[in-house]
Amino acid sequence: MEALHQILSPDFLLRNSVYTSVLIGLACPLVGVFLVLRRLVFMGVALPQISSTGVALALSLPLWLGVSVTAHGSHSEHVLAFVGSTAFSLVAILTLAFLERRGRGLPEGRLGTAYVVAAALSILLLSKNRYAEIGWLDLLKGEVITISNFDLALTAAALAVVLVVLGLFHKELLFVSFDRDMAITLQKKVVFWDVVLYLLIGLTVSMAVLSVGPLIAFGFLLIPPLTAHLFARNMRQFTILASLLGGAASFIGFWLAYQWDLPVGPTDVVLLGMIYAAAWTVHWLIRISKTERNAHA
Amino acid sequence: MSESLITFDNLCIGYNNQPVLSGISLSIARASFTALLGVNGSGKSTLLKTLLGLQPPLAGRVQIDAPVVFGYVPQTIQFDPLYLLTGFDVALMGVYGRVGPGRRVPQHERDFTHECLHATGAEEFARQRFAELSGGQKQRVLIARALATKANVLVLDEPTAGVDAAATHALLEFISRIHEERKLMVLLVTHDLPLVRKHAQQIIWLHQGQVLHGTVAELFTPERMAEIFEMELG
Repeated sequence: MEALHQILSPDFLLRNSVYTSVLIGLACPLVGVFLVLRRLVFMGVALPQISSTGVALALSLPLWLGVSVTAHGSHSEHVLAFVGSTAFSLVAILTLAFLERRGRGLPEGRLGTAYVVAAALSILLLSKNRYAEIGWLDLLKGEVITISNFDLALTAAALAVVLVVLGLFHKELLFVSFDRDMAITLQKKVVFWDVVLYLLIGLTVSMAVLSVGPLIAFGFLLIPPLTAHLFARNMRQFTILASLLGGAASFIGFWLAYQWDLPVGPTDVVLLGMIYAAAWTVHWLIRISKTERNAHA
Repeated sequence: MSESLITFDNLCIGYNNQPVLSGISLSIARASFTALLGVNGSGKSTLLKTLLGLQPPLAGRVQIDAPVVFGYVPQTIQFDPLYLLTGFDVALMGVYGRVGPGRRVPQHERDFTHECLHATGAEEFARQRFAELSGGQKQRVLIARALATKANVLVLDEPTAGVDAAATHALLEFISRIHEERKLMVLLVTHDLPLVRKHAQQIIWLHQGQVLHGTVAELFTPERMAEIFEMELG
């Protein structure tokens, strides 16, 4: 419990890391709900990896050009990484979504190829970079330790954008996801709403990758919505429950990692996996019990 | 024949530049009840999608002579059960065409949706999850949604597929009634010839790349039926 008191203290040295983890935990499931509903789970795997390749490329580019990034201010490296991450995420999601919509080829094959090529490219880029060993590798692995006030503000701003856009246009985004044909017959701009949704997903993924790395981003995109779906009774409950679960798991994960000196990101994902397994078991037991009750009635 | 509302003018339809049907030229009358018939793969769904603007024609055009709101009732199988939507949530989507982006659905539109659910006999199960309703119940909710659009053209894609005989009978009786009462144009895709004979006025029959168009009396003669089914008359 002492570790918990320390984490909750306003003077806690890693407080920005706690806040950022929780913000990512809250934000990722909000867009992850749409990935699950649109059955784009594999995109949730590929996208964070592609985003992290964008980070690696953005950080490598100045070195190849002989420009010193740190000479332009303390935040310039993070801004560069953010630009690389966001650009790669958005281009990737729009391209993959376009190909998905065209309906040609094997979608799983495309996503699998994008994932593995992006992962290999990240390693290649970092292997030829002398700064990779001193921090950038940690950034890509998701070591949520050194989060500046600027990083925290950027993450909070991204979450605010996601919340506002989802809150305002949830009706439209849900409609074009659920029944695209009907939306077209009612003259809705389905391509526009698809792009809005993909921009939100891209922005969230790039923020998450920068803060917690691709593996953890994937975990938070998918496991909380899958868990919440077992118990939610409507779309509002589904979205809120998934987001709260992500936020709570990220906080508890941080606490456990701090308590036992474990890496934060992997602790979060294993915790989410255990919660999902427990939730699935409870859900299964409830169903069995209901079936038996109905049989006796 | 009454005034036409929809005209197919030398229409060619298909996918990826591969024509399924071509040279379609016919008119569908305002407030008519038209059945669209044909075997699987004959182009019924392609024609329907082209009419609804879901896919462009390969050639020719679809001319619509007055402002039209389509009330589209798709096949229930296309809906993903992952969506945690009630029957009411699904029916409410019918009013979305009148509610701007970012705006909440006003109370009077919610009340109107309840009225539409009541009219289709779907109100009693409207609070249940849509994915868990029976085939007939889903169809009633989808017809309520189509009515909630304030449609003047009701387009139904095999509404009786997977629905038992009693529910099929009730569903078609209901569609016939609202067709009469609301002067709706109904375009019904089906394989059920007895239902067509009982309820439809016009038939569009897609047969081996040809489009046959006429009244029930014209097309349901023994000679035409034999021709269509390639049978010898006894």
